[in-house]
Amino acid sequence: MVESVTVIIKRQKNKDEMSYLEKFEYDGDLNIPIITLLEKINNQDEIKNIEGNIVEPIKFSCSCLQGLCGDCGILINGLPKLACTTFLIDEIGESGNEILLEPFPKFTVIADLVVDKEEMYESLKLLNQWIESDAKVNLDNIQTEYEMSLCLMCGCCLVACPNYSSGDLFKGVPVAINSLKFISQEKDKKHSKELKNNYNHHFYSGCTKSLLCEDVCPMEIPIQRSISKMNRLSVWKLWQLISKI
Amino acid sequence: MKNILIIGSGIAGLTAAIKVCEGGGNVVLASPAHSERSQSVMAMGGINASLNTKGENDSTHDHFKDTINGGKGINNEKAVKKLTSNALNVVKWLGDIGVSFTRDENGNIDLRNFGGQKHKRTAYASARTGKQIVSSLTALCRKKEAEDSLKYIKPWRFLSLIITNDECIGAILFNENTNEIKAFEADSVIVATGGMNKLFGKTSGSTHNDGYVTAKLLEQGVELANLEMIQYHPTTIETPIKRLLITEAARGEGGRLYVIKDGKPWYFMEEWYPEFGALMPRDVVSQSIYKVCNDLDLGIDGKNQVYLDISHLPDEFIMSKLDEVYKTCIRYLNLNPCNEPIPVYPGVHYFMGGIKTDENHKTNIKGLFAAGECSCQYHGANRLGGNSLLGAVNGGWIAAEYALNHESNNQFEDNLINNVLNEEKEKFDIWSKKDISSNSVPLFKIEENLASIMNNSLSIYRNEKDLNNSYDELCNMEKIAIKADSRNDYYSYIRLPSLILLAKAMVLAALNRKESRGSHQRVEYPDLDDENFKKTTSLIFKDDNIEVSFK
Ligand SMILES: Cc1cc2nc3c(=O)[nH]c(=O)nc-3n(C[C@H](O)[C@H](O)[C@H](O)COP(=O)(O)OP(=O)(O)OC[C@H]3O[C@@H](n4cnc5c(N)ncnc54)[C@H](O)[C@@H]3O)c2cc1C
Ligand code: FES
Repeated sequence: MVESVTVIIKRQKNKDEMSYLEKFEYDGDLNIPIITLLEKINNQDEIKNIEGNIVEPIKFSCSCLQGLCGDCGILINGLPKLACTTFLIDEIGESGNEILLEPFPKFTVIADLVVDKEEMYESLKLLNQWIESDAKVNLDNIQTEYEMSLCLMCGCCLVACPNYSSGDLFKGVPVAINSLKFISQEKDKKHSKELKNNYNHHFYSGCTKSLLCEDVCPMEIPIQRSISKMNRLSVWKLWQLISKI
Repeated sequence: MKNILIIGSGIAGLTAAIKVCEGGGNVVLASPAHSERSQSVMAMGGINASLNTKGENDSTHDHFKDTINGGKGINNEKAVKKLTSNALNVVKWLGDIGVSFTRDENGNIDLRNFGGQKHKRTAYASARTGKQIVSSLTALCRKKEAEDSLKYIKPWRFLSLIITNDECIGAILFNENTNEIKAFEADSVIVATGGMNKLFGKTSGSTHNDGYVTAKLLEQGVELANLEMIQYHPTTIETPIKRLLITEAARGEGGRLYVIKDGKPWYFMEEWYPEFGALMPRDVVSQSIYKVCNDLDLGIDGKNQVYLDISHLPDEFIMSKLDEVYKTCIRYLNLNPCNEPIPVYPGVHYFMGGIKTDENHKTNIKGLFAAGECSCQYHGANRLGGNSLLGAVNGGWIAAEYALNHESNNQFEDNLINNVLNEEKEKFDIWSKKDISSNSVPLFKIEENLASIMNNSLSIYRNEKDLNNSYDELCNMEKIAIKADSRNDYYSYIRLPSLILLAKAMVLAALNRKESRGSHQRVEYPDLDDENFKKTTSLIFKDDNIEVSFK
């Protein structure tokens, strides 16, 4: 199917400059992923916006082009999605042949659709997200551990989360699911306790269970189930202990 | 304490980083993006080790033999010996650091069949082996970072090595976000920058792996090898975004290849190769698909495609062990592989050639090591599925050990590093002041042209005429490239001439290997010629000339 689409892109030259919306006209196949759309706009002899002015190529990130690396997360019509697995045809329905592409909010913009996700990684480091011992192997837990390791660090969950904002004590879902995996594998009791404490302070106390994270997770990680499990492990157990005293 | 600079943070770079830290060294790990974005996360099918838990009498010796047979005898045997005997330790170590391998009923790491190997030897983590390995390696690196023995810097692209007296003492890197250019001095450097994907436009792998590091190393006197050995994966699908891979596990778990002949499905691999069927090594399967479509004209719907059928496997099985195949087909083809066969054709997937190393991952330059897909030692003329994840971990591990042991007695002047740095900065200044003339060609067009030349002349079957024409075209392209309009992107501007040089080296390698071996099939020389070519193709850039020899 070929139709004309107005592609609206929130652009920003670098982190210090103001952002602005720029419109492009696209005529072509609609059954293409958004990354392909961006490539088609860029790979022209002259890149012209809707007013006919020649502009610089649109900056965006991608690597695997098949939903495995989390590099290409952007806001598509206001929702956090992977641009390589989201198709144009599915996004122009109600908006009258228009599509709006923006960089993730809550992260610093580097240029156009590219943002700096370093803070996500810093949180994992700060909260000791690793194991100290050799991994415990429990056949009943392997599936859960596997699912927790599917996290792409794409940031969709943090964008959707009503509680997360940059620099806060609350660090969001990546910490919760990593904690579950590492507690399940850790033999070192001290480190397990540390992981549980960190979970309590940096996740449990800030999560209001909107579970929008689960709705937007491109890997369909069972977040609700993992949070319940973590709560059982680290919050309720502690609480039961205290109430016994 | 030794300071080691590691460039590239896929599975090879991550493993090297951890092993250097464990050996008491300090690491700077540099890459354009986090490991979650590396090609390594895309590996699905698995990693080989002769764990022999299936009662099939598997052994490291059989693994060795299969690897050499698959590589048609031009693998570095000493390296393959180490690879296959370390494999057991590698997989055990991965399990210890927390990789969630799929387990069998007995609690052992489960094994599946992969091409070119009669035994069940491929360990896997459901449908996402690479991702699971990266996840555990990054967690360990995080710990090393917190302990301050590792510094992980992003987004830094490699610009050039700092070499003096034939010894590498660091590298100049470029920050793509800030345009900063910086020198990193090191006791040794490990390069782990993946395949040369960009030469072919898009491959089944990551767009981050552009091959620039390999190209620049060639330019700087590092020996490359076997560049003509390019693996076409038999089963890739055509989609608007690129040709996507359908993992070999689909055939390993029972998927069959067929076309329609005389109104009936014809399982050509099973007829031609009754012993292995569709699980012959990849070069053979790809060549067979080529023949079926081009020589016999039996491509499905008259196109270059055959069917890969997994619809006879139980749905639940597909959903658990091959769920990525299911997702990819539904998403990009709107096709349900539980009910319908998948139209596939070979596509560029893996580079057996690259930076030549010995069995200890040393290059011809002192202090410079290479590991993972960018390096060349294990796979010969064709890589077996599941051997490259193994090669990446094993290579990173060994490179770390030897990099730590490297002793330099190089005396260099204090200002040497500054001089090299200033040269790179000057190049940037010249570029930034450059007037783009109105008739200069947009750089992306030259890159597209480069990819089209490479895809045509280095396809599954190569011929002298196309290779010669390509070489001439590449020589012409060099002249246009320096005037290209890179639209304010310095990195792609300096990358292009080096990529063209690398492309020329690849074409020359293919021209000079006048025989057919593994993934290199020459129309004019259809047979193996062990006497002249059971050797490694060596490529060295000297006095503005690419020298090709066979060693
Ligand atoms: C779809 C797919 C499926 C696969 N499945 C399997 C499988 O089942 N089993 C198997 O054994 N193998 C498989 N492979 C092959 C395997 O994934 C790779 O060969 C392996 O992961 C390579 O690891 P690496 O560490 O060498 O490189 P990569 O993981 O490719 O990492 C390269 C690193 O170098 C960095 N880099 C790239 N260019 C530059 C530059 N110019 N400057 C600085 N840094 C740079 C990248 O950012 C990255 O960090 C598969 C490959 C693909 C594409
Ligand atoms: S590019 Fe990797 S997830 Fe989109």
